[in-house]
Amino acid sequence: MKNQRIKIYIALLSICALCIIGCTKVEYTEIKEPAYLRVFNNLNYVQTLGSKDDKVPYFCMLINPTMDATGEITGAEVIGDFFDKRDAYAPPYPSHIGNSTSLDNPEYPGKRNVLVAPMLNGFDLSSWAQVPSGSLRIVFAYRPKNTVPFLQLESHLKKDILIDTVINLGSKEVYTLHLLQKDFVTKEHGLLLREENFHKLPLSDSLVYVNFYNMSAKGFVEADASLKDGDYRLRSFMGGIKEEMNIFLSLYEDQGVLSHMAPTVPGYKGKYMTRVVRNNSSSAVAPYVSFPLWASSKTNGIQTTMWQRFDFFVPGMDITNNPIHSTTSNTEGNWAVVNCLLNGKVNLTSPDNGTMLPNMLVNVHSGIHNPRTFATVNTLEVVNGRIYMTTIQRKFAPPIY
Amino acid sequence: MKHRFLHTIFLFATCFVASCEHPDLTVVTPNENIRPAADFIKNNFEMTLFHAALQKTGLAAELNQEGPFTVLVPNDVAFNEIGVFRPTDFDRMNQDSLRRIIKYHVLPRRMFLADIPANGVDVRYATLEGTSLHTSLASFNPTGGSAVNDLFFDGASVLRKDVGLANGVLYVLDKVMKPQFETNIQALLTAKPEYRVFVAGLKKFGLWEQFGTAGPFTVFAPTNKALESLGITEEVLATMDVAKYNAEELFGTYIIYNKHFFISDSKVFSTINADGRYSYKLKGSPYVMTYFSNTSYPEWILGYNLELKSSDDVFAQIIARVEYRQRAKVDFLCTNGVVHNLETGLVKPGQALKK
Repeated sequence: MKNQRIKIYIALLSICALCIIGCTKVEYTEIKEPAYLRVFNNLNYVQTLGSKDDKVPYFCMLINPTMDATGEITGAEVIGDFFDKRDAYAPPYPSHIGNSTSLDNPEYPGKRNVLVAPMLNGFDLSSWAQVPSGSLRIVFAYRPKNTVPFLQLESHLKKDILIDTVINLGSKEVYTLHLLQKDFVTKEHGLLLREENFHKLPLSDSLVYVNFYNMSAKGFVEADASLKDGDYRLRSFMGGIKEEMNIFLSLYEDQGVLSHMAPTVPGYKGKYMTRVVRNNSSSAVAPYVSFPLWASSKTNGIQTTMWQRFDFFVPGMDITNNPIHSTTSNTEGNWAVVNCLLNGKVNLTSPDNGTMLPNMLVNVHSGIHNPRTFATVNTLEVVNGRIYMTTIQRKFAPPIY
Repeated sequence: MKHRFLHTIFLFATCFVASCEHPDLTVVTPNENIRPAADFIKNNFEMTLFHAALQKTGLAAELNQEGPFTVLVPNDVAFNEIGVFRPTDFDRMNQDSLRRIIKYHVLPRRMFLADIPANGVDVRYATLEGTSLHTSLASFNPTGGSAVNDLFFDGASVLRKDVGLANGVLYVLDKVMKPQFETNIQALLTAKPEYRVFVAGLKKFGLWEQFGTAGPFTVFAPTNKALESLGITEEVLATMDVAKYNAEELFGTYIIYNKHFFISDSKVFSTINADGRYSYKLKGSPYVMTYFSNTSYPEWILGYNLELKSSDDVFAQIIARVEYRQRAKVDFLCTNGVVHNLETGLVKPGQALKK
């Protein structure tokens, strides 16, 4: 009898507790008719004695800012603060969050905790932020490189604006926005908004796609070497590339062999891919070119150790008639090389002038396979003396255990 | 049953008794005899002249108050280098200027080394005087290597960091900072008779007016004697034909445009990115100037080096090479740049003829 009464009490108590908890209303942030936006700051800087008195291109991005009577920025609909120069590699998902203790954000959304785009036609768009569609006022304001949020800075530090313009975004479209130097001589800056189309294309699961852009500033390749970044790791890209370049692909069998003279996949040694022309004002998407994920006959269809090397040659030159020595960095823009292998941090041991980027193929543990290789969609962008890679990952069937 | 109850009581009683014991624990007591800033300086044999200056300007009492303060103390050697050897030497100075300079050496905050941003260059901190100074901390090279933590205020090296005080923190400097406050480069050069010929030359060759603008500039100002060794005196200048000479080679060679470099900056960047050299072509000339600073045997004083070559070719002729090691006569901070003394001339008139 007594036990029964206790049970009834407990039951009543549980019901009461459930009722109270059930009353909490969770307000989910929602953007109606969103556009999907990813922003890169292609203005690079290095800390040198000569650039000590230059302004550091470190920004706060504000979308639809509000201002008070004096013209001081008081808030904004979307704020991308601590917006730093972009990393050489833009990963397919925002891995910066777990890998960094710094506030500096190499892209937007990057480390920001914002609503991101959903899975769209099988593409993981978690590196794209949801922003309102339609006409947006976008402002890039210079800010000091410290840890104070933009709106809390002293008012005289909030008035240095690089760009204040309006962009138009369509609903449920995918955009990348680039902050660029348009002219190396006049130091003119500008934006380039590109409406991406990879999610609308019928792309195959077993091909790796890549497209190329040269968004360098006008006059960069012609400029004196003393005005350019002298980082030795840029190697043959250091001086920039010429206006029009042909791109050739070589696929190497094994990324365990760190040499550009190692065996290549038959049919893929200096194979012509496409042509890239310098353009930092056109928003047209460059056509995607592809190579087979299982190009090598030595793979088992699950995993491959293949890596990629892209040679940029001025028209008329290719790997068979290249007169430049393989270690020369100063090619005067006639030849530039990028090697895509491992995590993009390991140098080749052979005498080579290629800069380094990560492998385009994603090798991860999946189900019973460790590792398993997946195809991706990539974009390679040359900006002045640097080459950047953006990898977009596709959604595959769930792993089998 | 009853026994168990008694046992429990007994156990508790034992615990109570045991807990009454008070063993003597040794607790580290904080030092209660840390002195405030002015008292600390008074009791330090290395800082007698700074203490005399505090007495003279009446700042000693203020520095003993609650604070917090960060005191940048030039040691006695630093004062000796600017010609101050005994406390009475301060009597000869303009007392208002002295008070401003001494207040410039005090920051109204407690700033430990750890509070200064790593690899921060020209970080500005407000001083007690009201203006702000430039702080540079060369912490490490981001591509690898061990920590260095060389600290500089307005070009003065810090010899000793993080000395704790009751009301702040103290740093020892190797030289007296030389802020010129409202003075621009024009006013500074005009005020010093040793640069009379240099000023006359700049005026004659149309390079003078720019020093009235915002700049910034770095000027290595040659003394009259230095220019005389090249054959440039006021009499010679008067007879020179402006049209025959390249002004940027003859006098522009002493100017770095759009930069303000303390001598220490080169040292800072030799840590941060392993490159403390700054090379540039003179305006409208193939001549290439390289500037860097270093310490060298036997005195290990941070000084600057200039090397002027006829072009950027590896085998180009070296026109002039200068090594300067007097830390007291560099880093004059003006409103529109920095002025350093130079006691060797660089370009002879014959080397600056228009081709």
